[in-house]
Amino acid sequence: MGEERKQILDMLASGRISVAEAERLLAAMEANPSAGDVRTGATATVETTRRPKYLRVLVEADESMTGLRGGTTTVNVRVPMQLLRAGVRLAGLIPAQAHEQVDAAFSKHGIPVTLSQIRPENLEELIDHLADLTVDVDGRDGNATKVRVYCE
Amino acid sequence: MTPSLAILRISSPYWRGLRLWVPLFLLWIPLALLGPLLLVVLGIVCALRGVPFFRTLGCAWSLLTGLRGVDVDVRTPGNVVQVRIV
Repeated sequence: MGEERKQILDMLASGRISVAEAERLLAAMEANPSAGDVRTGATATVETTRRPKYLRVLVEADESMTGLRGGTTTVNVRVPMQLLRAGVRLAGLIPAQAHEQVDAAFSKHGIPVTLSQIRPENLEELIDHLADLTVDVDGRDGNATKVRVYCE
Repeated sequence: MTPSLAILRISSPYWRGLRLWVPLFLLWIPLALLGPLLLVVLGIVCALRGVPFFRTLGCAWSLLTGLRGVDVDVRTPGNVVQVRIV
Protein backbone atom coordinates (compact mmCIF):
# COMPACT_ATOMS: atom_id res chain seq x y z
CA MET A 1 0.00 0.00 0.00
CA GLY A 2 1.36 3.43 -0.93
CA GLU A 3 2.25 5.94 1.78
CA GLU A 4 -0.33 8.48 0.58
CA ARG A 5 -3.11 5.92 0.48
CA LYS A 6 -2.23 4.81 4.01
CA GLN A 7 -2.27 8.44 5.15
CA ILE A 8 -5.76 8.97 3.70
CA LEU A 9 -7.07 5.81 5.33
CA ASP A 10 -5.51 6.86 8.64
CA MET A 11 -7.27 10.24 8.40
CA LEU A 12 -10.52 8.44 7.67
CA ALA A 13 -10.04 6.06 10.58
CA SER A 14 -9.28 8.90 12.97
CA GLY A 15 -12.40 10.76 11.81
CA ARG A 16 -10.51 13.80 10.47
CA ILE A 17 -12.13 13.37 7.05
CA SER A 18 -15.43 11.88 5.95
CA VAL A 19 -15.87 8.82 3.72
CA ALA A 20 -16.81 11.07 0.77
CA GLU A 21 -13.69 13.19 1.28
CA ALA A 22 -11.52 10.09 1.48
CA GLU A 23 -13.07 8.78 -1.70
CA ARG A 24 -12.37 12.06 -3.48
CA LEU A 25 -8.80 12.16 -2.22
CA LEU A 26 -8.18 8.59 -3.37
CA ALA A 27 -9.70 9.32 -6.75
CA ALA A 28 -7.59 12.46 -7.11
CA MET A 29 -4.49 10.51 -6.09
CA GLU A 30 -5.20 7.83 -8.67
CA ALA A 31 -5.82 10.45 -11.35
CA ASN A 32 -2.55 12.21 -10.53
CA PRO A 33 -0.16 9.75 -8.89
CA SER A 34 2.81 12.13 -9.17
CA ALA A 35 1.18 14.64 -6.81
CA GLY A 36 2.97 13.24 -3.80
CA ASP A 37 2.01 14.80 -0.50
CA VAL A 38 -1.42 14.54 0.98
CA ARG A 39 -2.21 17.25 3.46
CA THR A 40 -4.67 16.90 6.27
CA GLY A 41 -8.09 18.47 6.68
CA ALA A 42 -10.49 20.26 4.43
CA THR A 43 -7.84 22.34 2.59
CA ALA A 44 -6.36 19.24 1.03
CA THR A 45 -9.81 18.08 -0.05
CA VAL A 46 -10.63 21.41 -1.64
CA GLU A 47 -7.28 21.59 -3.40
CA THR A 48 -7.36 18.08 -4.82
CA THR A 49 -11.01 18.09 -5.90
CA ARG A 50 -11.62 19.81 -9.19
CA ARG A 51 -14.33 22.41 -9.41
CA PRO A 52 -17.66 20.91 -10.48
CA LYS A 53 -19.00 22.06 -13.84
CA TYR A 54 -22.44 20.50 -13.87
CA LEU A 55 -25.33 19.78 -11.56
CA ARG A 56 -26.79 16.36 -12.23
CA VAL A 57 -30.28 15.28 -11.17
CA LEU A 58 -31.14 11.62 -11.59
CA VAL A 59 -34.57 10.22 -10.88
CA GLU A 60 -35.41 6.54 -11.17
CA ALA A 61 -38.95 5.41 -10.59
CA ASP A 62 -40.28 1.90 -10.89
CA GLU A 63 -43.57 0.76 -12.37
CA SER A 64 -45.49 1.06 -9.14
CA MET A 65 -44.66 4.75 -8.87
CA THR A 66 -45.23 5.78 -12.50
CA GLY A 67 -48.00 3.39 -13.43
CA LEU A 68 -46.14 2.62 -16.66
CA ARG A 69 -45.64 -1.07 -17.25
CA GLY A 70 -42.47 -2.55 -18.73
CA GLY A 71 -39.65 -1.17 -16.64
CA THR A 72 -38.30 1.80 -14.79
CA THR A 73 -38.65 5.41 -15.82
CA THR A 74 -35.54 7.54 -15.60
CA VAL A 75 -35.01 11.25 -15.77
CA ASN A 76 -31.47 12.44 -16.17
CA VAL A 77 -30.87 16.18 -16.23
CA ARG A 78 -27.50 17.89 -16.47
CA VAL A 79 -27.41 21.63 -15.86
CA PRO A 80 -24.19 23.62 -16.29
CA MET A 81 -23.14 25.53 -13.18
CA GLN A 82 -22.69 28.57 -15.38
CA LEU A 83 -26.41 28.52 -16.10
CA LEU A 84 -27.18 28.39 -12.38
CA ARG A 85 -24.85 31.32 -11.77
CA ALA A 86 -26.58 33.23 -14.56
CA GLY A 87 -29.90 32.47 -12.88
CA VAL A 88 -28.64 33.89 -9.61
CA ARG A 89 -27.39 36.99 -11.44
CA LEU A 90 -30.80 37.26 -13.07
CA ALA A 91 -32.41 37.22 -9.63
CA GLY A 92 -30.31 40.28 -8.86
CA LEU A 93 -32.13 42.20 -11.59
CA ILE A 94 -35.55 41.61 -10.06
CA PRO A 95 -36.87 44.89 -8.57
CA ALA A 96 -37.04 45.19 -4.77
CA GLN A 97 -40.86 45.30 -4.73
CA ALA A 98 -40.99 42.00 -6.58
CA HIS A 99 -38.50 40.53 -4.06
CA GLU A 100 -40.93 41.26 -1.26
CA GLN A 101 -43.79 39.61 -3.13
CA VAL A 102 -41.72 36.52 -3.94
CA ASP A 103 -40.45 36.26 -0.35
CA ALA A 104 -44.02 36.54 0.94
CA ALA A 105 -45.17 33.80 -1.45
CA PHE A 106 -42.29 31.55 -0.36
CA SER A 107 -42.97 32.07 3.35
CA LYS A 108 -46.67 31.42 2.77
CA HIS A 109 -45.68 27.95 1.58
CA GLY A 110 -43.30 27.42 4.47
CA ILE A 111 -40.06 28.15 2.60
CA PRO A 112 -38.00 30.71 4.51
CA VAL A 113 -36.11 32.21 1.55
CA THR A 114 -35.10 35.84 1.17
CA LEU A 115 -34.50 36.35 -2.53
CA SER A 116 -32.39 39.49 -2.05
CA GLN A 117 -29.93 37.47 0.03
CA ILE A 118 -29.25 34.91 -2.69
CA ARG A 119 -25.90 35.83 -4.20
CA PRO A 120 -23.38 33.98 -6.39
CA GLU A 121 -21.27 33.33 -3.25
CA ASN A 122 -24.21 31.42 -1.74
CA LEU A 123 -24.35 29.29 -4.86
CA GLU A 124 -20.66 28.41 -4.52
CA GLU A 125 -21.32 27.40 -0.93
CA LEU A 126 -24.28 25.30 -2.03
CA ILE A 127 -22.17 23.63 -4.73
CA ASP A 128 -19.55 22.70 -2.14
CA HIS A 129 -22.21 21.09 0.01
CA LEU A 130 -23.87 19.36 -2.95
CA ALA A 131 -20.62 17.56 -3.77
CA ASP A 132 -22.11 14.20 -2.93
CA LEU A 133 -25.73 14.40 -1.88
CA THR A 134 -27.99 11.41 -2.39
CA VAL A 135 -31.66 11.50 -1.58
CA ASP A 136 -33.67 8.29 -1.57
CA VAL A 137 -37.41 8.66 -1.66
CA ASP A 138 -39.53 5.70 -0.58
CA GLY A 139 -42.48 4.95 -2.79
CA ARG A 140 -45.74 3.22 -2.07
CA ASP A 141 -45.68 -0.36 -0.69
CA GLY A 142 -41.97 -0.17 0.02
CA ASN A 143 -40.98 0.42 -3.61
CA ALA A 144 -38.19 2.89 -3.94
CA THR A 145 -37.90 5.88 -6.17
CA LYS A 146 -34.35 7.05 -6.20
CA VAL A 147 -33.57 10.73 -6.53
CA ARG A 148 -29.94 11.67 -6.70
CA VAL A 149 -28.58 15.20 -6.92
CA TYR A 150 -24.87 15.82 -7.22
CA CYS A 151 -22.23 17.98 -8.84
CA GLU A 152 -19.72 16.65 -11.35
CA MET B 1 -18.77 29.90 -25.56
CA THR B 2 -22.22 30.13 -27.01
CA PRO B 3 -24.11 26.93 -27.89
CA SER B 4 -23.68 25.83 -31.48
CA LEU B 5 -26.01 22.87 -31.82
CA ALA B 6 -29.18 21.54 -30.21
CA ILE B 7 -29.90 17.84 -30.62
CA LEU B 8 -33.44 16.68 -30.09
CA ARG B 9 -34.26 12.98 -30.06
CA ILE B 10 -37.70 11.50 -29.61
CA SER B 11 -38.47 7.83 -30.01
CA SER B 12 -41.55 5.83 -29.29
CA PRO B 13 -42.67 2.25 -30.01
CA TYR B 14 -45.66 3.59 -31.97
CA TRP B 15 -43.67 5.98 -34.14
CA ARG B 16 -40.41 5.73 -36.02
CA GLY B 17 -38.95 8.57 -34.00
CA LEU B 18 -37.18 11.79 -34.65
CA ARG B 19 -33.62 12.97 -34.39
CA LEU B 20 -33.27 16.65 -35.07
CA TRP B 21 -30.04 18.59 -35.21
CA VAL B 22 -30.70 22.32 -34.87
CA PRO B 23 -27.72 24.44 -35.92
CA LEU B 24 -27.92 27.23 -33.36
CA PHE B 25 -24.81 28.91 -34.72
CA LEU B 26 -26.86 29.94 -37.78
CA LEU B 27 -28.95 32.15 -35.49
CA TRP B 28 -25.94 34.45 -35.28
CA ILE B 29 -26.68 35.69 -38.80
CA PRO B 30 -30.11 37.26 -38.08
CA LEU B 31 -28.91 38.23 -34.59
CA ALA B 32 -25.94 40.11 -36.02
CA LEU B 33 -28.21 41.91 -38.49
CA LEU B 34 -30.84 42.79 -35.89
CA GLY B 35 -28.31 43.33 -33.09
CA PRO B 36 -28.17 47.15 -33.17
CA LEU B 37 -31.96 47.40 -33.23
CA LEU B 38 -32.32 44.89 -30.39
CA LEU B 39 -29.77 46.79 -28.31
CA VAL B 40 -31.68 50.04 -28.78
CA VAL B 41 -34.96 48.34 -27.78
CA LEU B 42 -33.28 46.75 -24.75
CA GLY B 43 -31.79 50.11 -23.78
CA ILE B 44 -35.21 51.80 -23.93
CA VAL B 45 -36.89 49.01 -21.91
CA CYS B 46 -34.12 49.13 -19.29
CA ALA B 47 -34.38 52.91 -19.01
CA LEU B 48 -38.17 52.72 -18.62
CA ARG B 49 -38.00 49.94 -16.02
CA GLY B 50 -35.03 51.36 -14.14
CA VAL B 51 -32.90 48.27 -14.70
CA PRO B 52 -29.15 48.64 -15.30
CA PHE B 53 -28.53 48.14 -19.01
CA PHE B 54 -25.06 46.63 -18.90
CA ARG B 55 -25.94 44.26 -16.05
CA THR B 56 -28.95 43.08 -18.06
CA LEU B 57 -26.77 42.59 -21.11
CA GLY B 58 -24.20 40.67 -19.06
CA CYS B 59 -26.93 38.53 -17.56
CA ALA B 60 -28.42 37.72 -20.96
CA TRP B 61 -24.98 36.78 -22.25
CA SER B 62 -24.35 34.55 -19.21
CA LEU B 63 -27.66 32.78 -19.78
CA LEU B 64 -26.83 32.27 -23.45
CA THR B 65 -23.35 30.89 -22.83
CA GLY B 66 -24.57 28.86 -19.85
CA LEU B 67 -26.91 26.85 -22.06
CA ARG B 68 -23.99 24.92 -23.54
CA GLY B 69 -23.84 21.53 -21.90
CA VAL B 70 -27.51 21.25 -20.94
CA ASP B 71 -28.62 17.65 -21.25
CA VAL B 72 -32.12 16.39 -20.50
CA ASP B 73 -32.86 12.70 -20.92
CA VAL B 74 -36.24 11.20 -20.06
CA ARG B 75 -36.79 7.48 -20.59
CA THR B 76 -39.96 5.58 -19.95
CA PRO B 77 -40.44 1.95 -21.07
CA GLY B 78 -40.14 2.22 -24.86
CA ASN B 79 -40.02 6.02 -25.04
CA VAL B 80 -37.04 8.32 -25.07
CA VAL B 81 -36.94 12.11 -25.14
CA GLN B 82 -33.53 13.65 -25.18
CA VAL B 83 -32.47 17.27 -25.55
CA ARG B 84 -28.81 18.17 -25.68
CA ILE B 85 -27.25 21.55 -26.25
CA VAL B 86 -23.62 21.45 -27.33
